[in-house]
Amino acid sequence: MMPLALRLAGRELRGGLRGFRVFLLCLSLGVMAIAAVGTLRGMIAAGLADQGAVLLGGDARLQFTYRFASEAERDWMAARALQVSEVVDFRSMIVVGEDRALTQVKAVDDLYPLVGALRLEPDLPLDQALAGRDGLPGAVLDPVLAARLGLAIGDSFRLGAQDFVLMARLIHEPDSLGGGFSLGPRSLVRRADLAASGLIGPGTLFDSEYRLTLPAGTDLDMLQAEAEAEFADSGLRWNDRRSANPGVDRFVARLSDFLVLVGLAGLAVGGVGIATAVRAWAEARRETLGILRVLGADGRLILAVMLAQVLAVSALGIAVGLLFGALLPMLAAPILSGLLPFPLQATLSLRALVEAGFYGVLTALIFSLWPLSGAARQRAAALFRGGAGARPGWTAASVVAGLALTLIGTATLLSGNRWLALGTAGGIAVALALLALAGMGLRRSARRLAHRPRGRLALRAALAALGAPRGEAVPALLALGLGLTVLAAMGQIDANLRRTIAADLPARAPAFYVLDIQPDQIDAFRKMLSDDPEVGKVEAAPMLRGVLSRINGRPAAEVAGDHWVVRGDRGLTTLAGAPADLASGKWWPADYSGPPQLAFSAKEGAEIGLKLGDRLSVNVLGREIEAELVAFRNVDFSSAGMGFIMTLNPGALAGAPQTHIATIHAPPDAEARLMRDLGRAFPNITLIAVRGAIARAAEALGAIATATATAAASVMVTGLVVLVGTAAAGEGARAREAAILKVLGATRGMILRSFALRAALLGTMAGAVALVAGSAAAWAVIVWVMEGEFMLAPLVALAIVGGGALASLLAGLAFALRPLRARPAQVLRATE
Amino acid sequence: MAEPILELEDVRLTLAGNAGAVEVLRGISLTVEPGQTVGLVGPSGSGKSSLLMLMGGMERATGGLVRAFGQDLGAMDEDGLARFRRGRMGVVFQSFHLIPTMTALENVAVPLEIAGARDAFARAAEELAAVGLSSRAGHYPAQLSGGEQQRVALARAAVPRPALILADEPTGNLDAANGDAVMDLLFGLRDRHGATLVMVTHAPELAARCDRVVRLADGRLA
Repeated sequence: MMPLALRLAGRELRGGLRGFRVFLLCLSLGVMAIAAVGTLRGMIAAGLADQGAVLLGGDARLQFTYRFASEAERDWMAARALQVSEVVDFRSMIVVGEDRALTQVKAVDDLYPLVGALRLEPDLPLDQALAGRDGLPGAVLDPVLAARLGLAIGDSFRLGAQDFVLMARLIHEPDSLGGGFSLGPRSLVRRADLAASGLIGPGTLFDSEYRLTLPAGTDLDMLQAEAEAEFADSGLRWNDRRSANPGVDRFVARLSDFLVLVGLAGLAVGGVGIATAVRAWAEARRETLGILRVLGADGRLILAVMLAQVLAVSALGIAVGLLFGALLPMLAAPILSGLLPFPLQATLSLRALVEAGFYGVLTALIFSLWPLSGAARQRAAALFRGGAGARPGWTAASVVAGLALTLIGTATLLSGNRWLALGTAGGIAVALALLALAGMGLRRSARRLAHRPRGRLALRAALAALGAPRGEAVPALLALGLGLTVLAAMGQIDANLRRTIAADLPARAPAFYVLDIQPDQIDAFRKMLSDDPEVGKVEAAPMLRGVLSRINGRPAAEVAGDHWVVRGDRGLTTLAGAPADLASGKWWPADYSGPPQLAFSAKEGAEIGLKLGDRLSVNVLGREIEAELVAFRNVDFSSAGMGFIMTLNPGALAGAPQTHIATIHAPPDAEARLMRDLGRAFPNITLIAVRGAIARAAEALGAIATATATAAASVMVTGLVVLVGTAAAGEGARAREAAILKVLGATRGMILRSFALRAALLGTMAGAVALVAGSAAAWAVIVWVMEGEFMLAPLVALAIVGGGALASLLAGLAFALRPLRARPAQVLRATE
Repeated sequence: MAEPILELEDVRLTLAGNAGAVEVLRGISLTVEPGQTVGLVGPSGSGKSSLLMLMGGMERATGGLVRAFGQDLGAMDEDGLARFRRGRMGVVFQSFHLIPTMTALENVAVPLEIAGARDAFARAAEELAAVGLSSRAGHYPAQLSGGEQQRVALARAAVPRPALILADEPTGNLDAANGDAVMDLLFGLRDRHGATLVMVTHAPELAARCDRVVRLADGRLA
């Protein structure tokens, strides 16, 4: 049967691809979007892998917090590496006269950079720049920092107790990405020149990094295992060139997963267009199908003939989509390289293309099989009697359901976040169901209301058209509505996040975080602030950073998996008396001096599966402290105040060099003065202006929002294509309607009003349903995923509903002009 | 005596319309013997075409029994009916109903291809020659005149050597000259293959060429 079906299909396709234009466009747009996201992700991954050693600053990196490498650790590194370069990274304040600014200081040795090259302006070698002049050691600053402080080349500034001279601006730092997100712009000094600064003292929060270049052919897995075994429980953190910044890898992966899901929503929208196009195409083939029936073709053969044609056209659409999806990111690479903070390498990702192609095939089948099955069951009598095709049977329904489950299952398996994938699939299904119900409801209501508006022909004709049994209401509503739903969801999520960051957070957040307050400064610090009438609440607590290394004797990563608490070091504090946020358990007495006891944040503890009585080991400054978990605290990190994952009894960290951190609440107009006064009184402390930090976070959010808005826009474009296709398909019917109305005496204005009304009603309905569905999806994301408070953003809501009505109106009117212009006789003669 | 090729017993056909149910055929009983030529005549709306469609299994009776070649057509589903028609029946329509995306030769070959014949195109070429259209084998229906299209349709109906040919107003859309030519071909094909021919017609001269004329009026035999 297949060879015959293919032969017959081939003859049919000789007639051209007319009737498949919308099908092709919808399928290729959807596949292109997914392929482009996957290709870009592959390019970023290739870039990160290729530049791994440069980004990391070496083939491998060993990192410690609060301390330098011990002799044993240095000997170990020296025995295995070709070169070892030590870098110290910490936050501090740059002082110029009365001005202060936060900076992320990198103090380097003579070997820096081991890999890659810096670019300075003026173009000096780094060692010459750091050598300084006029008796002062040199420094290199981020141009933003220099500009903010009004520093020119040759000007001096202070770091801690040490003066430096600005010798150059830092134009390119090859290993900046390997360090992760920082709040302060970069300053680069020589490690040796910090000796007199007073900044690297006991308890100061700093990271020491040892970058290694290794002999060719070194087995990094083995070396890592060796280091971690040799220095287990030392607080060592290992990175190597295969993944210079796991945080960046995770971010790129998550964003890509999310964008692929948006792409799948686009394919779903395209699927509506595919279903409409296939239905119309099968309808146009009614005569041929009837003839084949009469000549002895059974339903299977007819289905095979039609399916072969649809698959052939699908292959073309998928091929076009894959081609553009692969090419566009590569062509845009030079522009994207400037915009993205990641290196890009133009490369094809076969996995991305296969994934996109697979989704394309499944989508084409899911949305084609239903109308094709109906057409294949058409009786021979339909050839003569016309009328609708038969309804598809249970077999078709089962196959379509099976294919849909395969699509959802594949997307879920390939996604890095399975719940998000399932939630997205569920959301799309619910949105489609809501829109289909709305379409049927609109049709029924319109039919019922159509006879009412007497004397208002335009409205009556519009309602009659919307209520027509096989009219364009449902497909147009589905396509436009789903695209608008995605936009509505994105828009509400973005608006809520920005509101939180721009309004809620600053209202609750302190004006400053203060770091590195020495133990002998804390009392004077508190007194100074309590005497200041403009200062509100001040909170302070001792702080150390430590790594949660073991849970009940097992490696923490084994128990907690990839939970953020076990990724890297965390802030610890000590507290004598029971806090107000005690959730469960029994707090130690204020004068407790027994074995170490620990309280954990309740939410994160539940996520990891901790319970009272568990024994946790925390590595602080290379020392393992094992403590019994005796209490849980309700720590609220969303308030932007102080919050610690772990709290120990004071005795557990007695003798450990620690500093205090503090938060200060003050009005915005007191910030500059406070920064000056505190900086003068306590030159070693670091002040982080929280509003500035929030602004930087908002900037980063803006960039992400642009990426997601672009993805949502591609979904909208597909929706518009389907809308335009549906409108174009109805042009003939509108021409006949217009001709008859003109014969009966209607003016073109009346007819145009009718066309406009039906388009506007359709678009408004689509927008309204999209607003409900999109807002519900946004609520779920904000409340369940981000644990925030959701508030409907009215302007966004209005834009969605209004945008829907406008899009539908424009599409409807665009395809009303020709029918209006045609002469009645011309149209009516053609239909006889 | 040979079994009748068609047996209709009290056949009824009711169709659902926008204005309610319409009784198209109201108890037709009829037998057609092998080799006969039968003309179905009657006023417009009398149910002639519907009766022809029932005979070919292209429509389902709502009451009564339709047997063709000794088989109850009412017991078959749509696929069963389609397979039953293969090789047994040829149908000619008033509106030709050629497949627009296939050439004349391909249109004639299709029923043989569906029946799985290996020499479909060779036989189709012969049949096309028999209707005088060898030179138009590679042309599409849109490139043929009405008369030529109907001749292709005749060739398509005859190519499987069916025992039964059903023709629904085969000259209805043709002018007189073409109509005569087509009828000559139709009867010539019937004579050549010895098929039974049942034909719906408005033209008295065509009905006169048939062995038997069956009159319908208002859904009943007149």
